Amino acid sequence: MNIHINGKAYPLNKGASISVSHALTFHFSEPQKSTFAVALNSDFVGKTDYDTTFITSGDSLDVLQPIQGG
Amino acid sequence: MPLTIYGKKLDSRLLIGSALYPSPQVMKQAILASGSQVVTLSLKRQNPTEKSGQQIWTYLQDIIAESNGYLLPNTAGCKTAKEAVTLAKMSREIFKTDWIKLEVIGDDYNLQPDPIELLQATEQLIADGFKVLPYCTDDLVICQRLYDLGCEVIMPWASPIGTGKGLMNPYNLETIRLRLPDATLILDAGIGKPSDACLAMEMGYDGVLLNSAIALADNPVMMAKAFSQALQAGEQGYIAGIMEQRQTAHPSTPTLDTPFWHQS
Repeated sequence: MNIHINGKAYPLNKGASISVSHALTFHFSEPQKSTFAVALNSDFVGKTDYDTTFITSGDSLDVLQPIQGG
Repeated sequence: MPLTIYGKKLDSRLLIGSALYPSPQVMKQAILASGSQVVTLSLKRQNPTEKSGQQIWTYLQDIIAESNGYLLPNTAGCKTAKEAVTLAKMSREIFKTDWIKLEVIGDDYNLQPDPIELLQATEQLIADGFKVLPYCTDDLVICQRLYDLGCEVIMPWASPIGTGKGLMNPYNLETIRLRLPDATLILDAGIGKPSDACLAMEMGYDGVLLNSAIALADNPVMMAKAFSQALQAGEQGYIAGIMEQRQTAHPSTPTLDTPFWHQS
C-alpha cells in the first residue's frame, strides 16, 4: 500500500501510521526553508499540527507553494 | 480619492495579477509601474527539485515591500466550495493574510464562476474569519447575495478570464452599481484595453483587477502606465459628472448672429 504526496506514491505498510512531519521527509530531501502549506485528503493541516496528524496507507498529501496568479 | 479594501486605504484603484509576464524582472517592473498596491498570486503543488517557485515568491515579497502593498491570494483552479475553502486556509497560513480572492469555477470552457459553490464557500470562509473578495458573474442577484453574506467587496467579471473582450454587458454592470451603492465593486477579468478600465470607472466602479491585458502586451511596463492613467481618467470623469445623452443634435457654437445665416 502507498501514500501519495503531490501525486507521487511512497510505500507504507498496511496498518502503519506516520505523522505529517515524518511524511514530509519523503518529499523533501533536506530540512526546509522554503514556503509551503499542507492538505491531507483535501483538508488543510496547519503547521502546528504536523506532529499530531497521522497518515495511513491510501491517504493523499498535497504540499503547495506560492506561484504567480491572476 | 483612495480605494478602501476591508479597511485598508490604497492610493491606486488597480489590482494586478502576477502571472503570464515574459520574465520575473518584467513582472516586477510592470507591477511597480502600474502603481497598484494589491497583487494577486496563487498556490501550486511543490516540486522539491525546482527552485524557481521560491524565486518567484521572493520577487513578489520585494514588490509588496517596495509598493507598500498587499498580497491577494486566489483560489484559482477550485471547482467546489470544499476545495476553495481548503486552498484559502493554506493561503492564509503561507501569506499571513485573511484576504482571499475567491474563485470557484463551474465551467472549463469559459471559466465561468459557479454561483452555488461560490455562495457556499463565501459563507464558510466568512464564518472562519476571512475577508472574501468573490469573483463572480455580472448577475445582480448573486452580487446581492454575496453582499448580504458580508462581502464588502464584490468582483463581477467584465468577460471570461483572459479573453480581453472588455465589458460584455454594460447594462448588467451598471445595474449592479446602481443597486449596490455601498458595496466596493471591482471589475475583474476580461479587461483588454485601457479604455475598458476607463469605462468601468466612468460607471462608478471602485476599481479594476486585471492581469493578461498588461502581462501579454508587447510592452507590459508601458501598458501598466497606460492602465494607471486610464483608471484615473475614468474616476475623474465619474466624479466630474458625465453629461446626459440627448436624442437630437444641439449646436455647440452659439447660433445667435451666425454669419451668412440662411433665411428661408
